[in-house]
Amino acid sequence: MKVHGEETPGGRGGGGQGDASSVPLVHATDLKLCLIILAGCAALYLGTTRFEKVADLFAQDVPPEFFPRLLIWTIVVLTVLLPFEHLYLRRRQKDIDKDRRKAVKPIAYITGALLCVVVASISVLGPWLTMTLVCVALPTLWHERRLKVVIPFVVIFPALVTLLFSRVLAVHFEPGYVLPALLEAWQWIR
Amino acid sequence: MDPMIEGLLLIADPFNIFLIFVGVVVGVTVGALPGLSSPMAVALLLPFTISLEPVPAIAMLAALYCAGTFGGSITAILINAPGAPPAVATAFDGYPMAKRGEAGRALGLAAVSSVAGGVFSLVVFLFATPLLAKLALQFRPPEYFALTVFALSMLASISGRSSLRNLIAGAFGVLIGTAGIHLTTGVERFTFGVYELTEGIHFVPVLIGLFAVAELLNQSQSLHVTYERITTVVVKLPSREDFRRVWRCVLRSCGIGTFIGILPAEGATVAAIMGYNEAKRWSKYKEEFGTGTPEGIAGPEAANNAATGGAMVPTLALGIPGSGTTAVILAALIMHGFRPGPYLMRETPEFVYAIFGAMLLANFMFLGIGLAGAKVFSRITMIPRGILWPAVFVFSMIGAYAYSSAVFDVWVMLISGLVGFLMLRHGFGPAPLVMGLILGKLVEESLSQSMIMFDSNWLRFFESPIVLMFFGLTLASLLWPVLSPLLLRRK
Repeated sequence: MKVHGEETPGGRGGGGQGDASSVPLVHATDLKLCLIILAGCAALYLGTTRFEKVADLFAQDVPPEFFPRLLIWTIVVLTVLLPFEHLYLRRRQKDIDKDRRKAVKPIAYITGALLCVVVASISVLGPWLTMTLVCVALPTLWHERRLKVVIPFVVIFPALVTLLFSRVLAVHFEPGYVLPALLEAWQWIR
Repeated sequence: MDPMIEGLLLIADPFNIFLIFVGVVVGVTVGALPGLSSPMAVALLLPFTISLEPVPAIAMLAALYCAGTFGGSITAILINAPGAPPAVATAFDGYPMAKRGEAGRALGLAAVSSVAGGVFSLVVFLFATPLLAKLALQFRPPEYFALTVFALSMLASISGRSSLRNLIAGAFGVLIGTAGIHLTTGVERFTFGVYELTEGIHFVPVLIGLFAVAELLNQSQSLHVTYERITTVVVKLPSREDFRRVWRCVLRSCGIGTFIGILPAEGATVAAIMGYNEAKRWSKYKEEFGTGTPEGIAGPEAANNAATGGAMVPTLALGIPGSGTTAVILAALIMHGFRPGPYLMRETPEFVYAIFGAMLLANFMFLGIGLAGAKVFSRITMIPRGILWPAVFVFSMIGAYAYSSAVFDVWVMLISGLVGFLMLRHGFGPAPLVMGLILGKLVEESLSQSMIMFDSNWLRFFESPIVLMFFGLTLASLLWPVLSPLLLRRK
């Protein structure tokens, strides 16, 4: 059995053009995707077996696991078709590999990791310092070197957003640990 | 007092008019910026509306929706980069017209056609919403279940490359909606011992993550894209000759756009592409399409704006979103304590008319703002991306936090964004997942109530003619992507 994408450079699928007779039955990338989704479905199905049991009378014949399982089975049935979908899409001249033919650039991974660090630091830094961190770190990471733009952005934007949400929209922000500690230290020094 | 007058008076409040103006300016700006979309802007604006009264909050979001759809045409015409997906077809003829020195004429045609489409669909909205709501009042849980299943099946034909992926994403959305405490039995589902999950996964952080953070990660890979911009712009209203040439096309597109908008899950992008194709099909000057013909601008622009009013009809009358952005507006309605659907029209008709008034006002506002400020809006593409996207992330983070003052929601937003990025890469759109998430509760509730009514006998679903009709439509919409090429070939 031929697997779509195995014979093309990078193993990322051929993109829908070319000789129809050479089209493999299974799309390699979609097969991997299908297996990942099926594994997720299996894990979720296992999760439904651990739901607390309730009496039929109390559940009124609609137990809590009934609907999630129905959905999981629906997803499984649809997902099994994924590796073969390229055959149909090819006939309709739709290129499902358009966005994934090129590898994800490292900058996207680094940005994702940075965002995780930022979110993890909210409780420690508090919202204002976290926003400032975003405004400094992301432009720096993305090689934004126009200091005339970056500096006012770093100084003004987090302050404006904090004012807008805390004063105008009355959202309560936990202060975090760093800013109160710094203020306390300043008081102590003075 | 007549509910319609009451609704319009609600909108006539100066503060509400100001908020509609803000919604229009934000909408045109976001629409004009490639990468930023209306659903994203509405999702980001949601947390700002928490402390507002429901009428101004929803009016502002509805105004943003209308203006965002138009805003995309500015950059489609001036830099050949549609600011929003519904403006894709506008670029086909808008940019060539702008390149030959008629950018002002192209923008004028786009603005006037957009307003025509918007106003036409709002007239339909005015009459169709109460009628549909009245009809839906007779629906029992089985009919509602069949209707929601039909709405989810429409995801198969929503814009995007793959019907199958849309359906999978929609089903996942519904599944995510099941997390939390089961209403009938009180059993915890998919909470994995996390206390915050017992309330279920909140809509707002997921919406922000899927629409904003996923796009941010996507854009991080193309930070240095530059656009060739047409700078000399003096916007002109269409001449009498232009009107004579495009009025039939505009009228046709108004009908197409409104109809497509009313269909559950179908949005402005599908409407615009159909509007363009039909404009070409019926034109006497087919060969001019792609070279900057007025019909090539008027057709898609009238259709995509007509879809906005159309999409609000099922959203308000049935509680079924007509498009990705209306799915977010539906979430806003739920957030403000409303129960979208026929009861909204029965219990608070003035609210529905207030939304009508806001959208009507927004249409005329963006005509003025769009015409007067096209040059300014074309310049906003010069905002460095290294500044724009960090600002979007700050709003995403604080917006997700503000929803329930919980850092947990910021994590939900971030995880949704990371998952959304992978989804986009593999051809799964965020809109189907959002629709599934929002419809999930309704599907499960109506199914459970039906099963209780029918004593768990599935066959009794088929006793209702309305259920049969919706199941028939579901089957048709699922098979349509497969059967349509065969039928077209036979023709």
